[in-house]
Amino acid sequence: MSERESERNFQKMLQVLRDHQSVHFEACVRCGLCGKSCHVYLSDPSVENLPVTKAQKVVGLQRKKSEEVDEKFLLSLQESVYGRCTGCGRCNLNCSIGLNIASIIRVGRTILSALGRTPEKLLRPLKNQLEYGNQMMVSADEMRETATWIASDLRLESGQESFDIPIDKEGARILYLVNPREIKFAPLSLMAAAGVFGAAKESWTLASRFFDVTNFGFIAGDDESMKQVAEAVFSEGKRLGVREVILSECGHGARVFKWDSGVASPLPTKSIIELLDLYIEQGRVRLDKKKNAARVTLHDPCNLVRWSGVSEAQRRVLREACADFKEMIPNRAQNYCCGGGGGMQLLQECSEVRLRSAEIKANQIRSSGAKVVATPCHTCIDQLTELNKKYQLKVEISTVTELVYNALLY
Amino acid sequence: MKLVIADKSIEFDHDGFMLDPSLWSDEVALVIAKEDGIEEMSEEHWKVVRFIRHYWLEHDMAPAVRLVCQELGVGVRQLYKLFTLGPARGACRVAGLSKPDGCV
Ligand code: SF4
Ligand code: SF4
Repeated sequence: MSERESERNFQKMLQVLRDHQSVHFEACVRCGLCGKSCHVYLSDPSVENLPVTKAQKVVGLQRKKSEEVDEKFLLSLQESVYGRCTGCGRCNLNCSIGLNIASIIRVGRTILSALGRTPEKLLRPLKNQLEYGNQMMVSADEMRETATWIASDLRLESGQESFDIPIDKEGARILYLVNPREIKFAPLSLMAAAGVFGAAKESWTLASRFFDVTNFGFIAGDDESMKQVAEAVFSEGKRLGVREVILSECGHGARVFKWDSGVASPLPTKSIIELLDLYIEQGRVRLDKKKNAARVTLHDPCNLVRWSGVSEAQRRVLREACADFKEMIPNRAQNYCCGGGGGMQLLQECSEVRLRSAEIKANQIRSSGAKVVATPCHTCIDQLTELNKKYQLKVEISTVTELVYNALLY
Repeated sequence: MKLVIADKSIEFDHDGFMLDPSLWSDEVALVIAKEDGIEEMSEEHWKVVRFIRHYWLEHDMAPAVRLVCQELGVGVRQLYKLFTLGPARGACRVAGLSKPDGCV
């Protein structure tokens, strides 16, 4: 890199720091309390894993000289903000002076993104979202055919002739965003949602163009792309004239589309969990909890619960849908990260940290005595599925909607 | 991780997907399946695996689960019974594909 180029890069980095008002982190009193909150630190208590160290690496930039910000530094920054942090935000809760440590660490990702150093595994899904409207390049035709196929299976299974999966239905009350994997690989959760919507006589639709509930701009700290993706999705809502956007079970998706995308959402936006809660409260669906007899526990996705405050709805729903619901401890905002958030699930080089740091989660699950772990996030589902294998938990992992669907009375 | 299967040294990535999918063989499929708790690969297992493998060789991407089910006449719940880890992490891995991009 030429000297001019590295100076330019350095100025870019400082600008990102200023744009995010990162300087407030200078208030840190170095008490080290944040370490006790962090699952990465707890599983390997080395100083590099302390939340304060990771945040300090980011804000410390402003005291550096441009020549100190070399390849070695950038690699260690990358390792720190991607390889040692899921952005779960648990450290924020327990900082002795209330600093937003996790957001500072994310600024490190924004800095790397400004330098074009986002990990390839996160960049590809982001490019797909911008170019094809979803992270897996699922075409509109594929979506239509899958919807037709799943809807016919649903009618067969439920015996309800009226159940359907509408696409691009103008004037529907809600637009339902899905994780593209629910179309491409794992359609049972979509089938369950369609079953519940059918039972509640909901007027709903999927969109064929921008239908993706995930947002890799958020994960990559690329705020500009995050906004673009969100705008594209909301424009589908406007095109179809819906009154509400409902998000399939996705932790960061809920965070981004509810409040953190950088664009004010033009339509009320809720997680499907909040809608299920409402259906039950209003008596729009009737459930027989005996149909889910085994003990169920709940894993709280950090982005949905700690960051977005959707905390009680999923518990009310599970208490109505399952005969034996048991909290894991700690829970709600104090819950530990599953270990797979913040893109770690996609980054091969992080898999060791990811599985090791989740031992706490495995122990939480084991102590609950549950046979089923419900969690309203597909990334958490993947991570828990791996933990199930690695720690031999012998549990089933399920979305919340699938449990509700299973308990439906028609 | 590295394993020697049928005299060939096979490397897997951290998620257990093959690093060099061209080294795939029936023997490799059996080893991966066993790791996922499939003690015996039935006719139905093989049908799914061969379809996915074939599609991937032709299109350089994993088939949508709809195609697998419709082409083979297998219900989606049945597919999950065959491969409890699902089509992506289960069946595609046994078929020796590299890990698909995105949230899988
Ligand atoms: S956000 Fe979570 S993973 Fe990152 S430092 Fe804080 S507690 Fe640790
Ligand atoms: S808890 Fe807060 S004040 Fe204490 S070291 Fe961590 S970031 Fe700094």
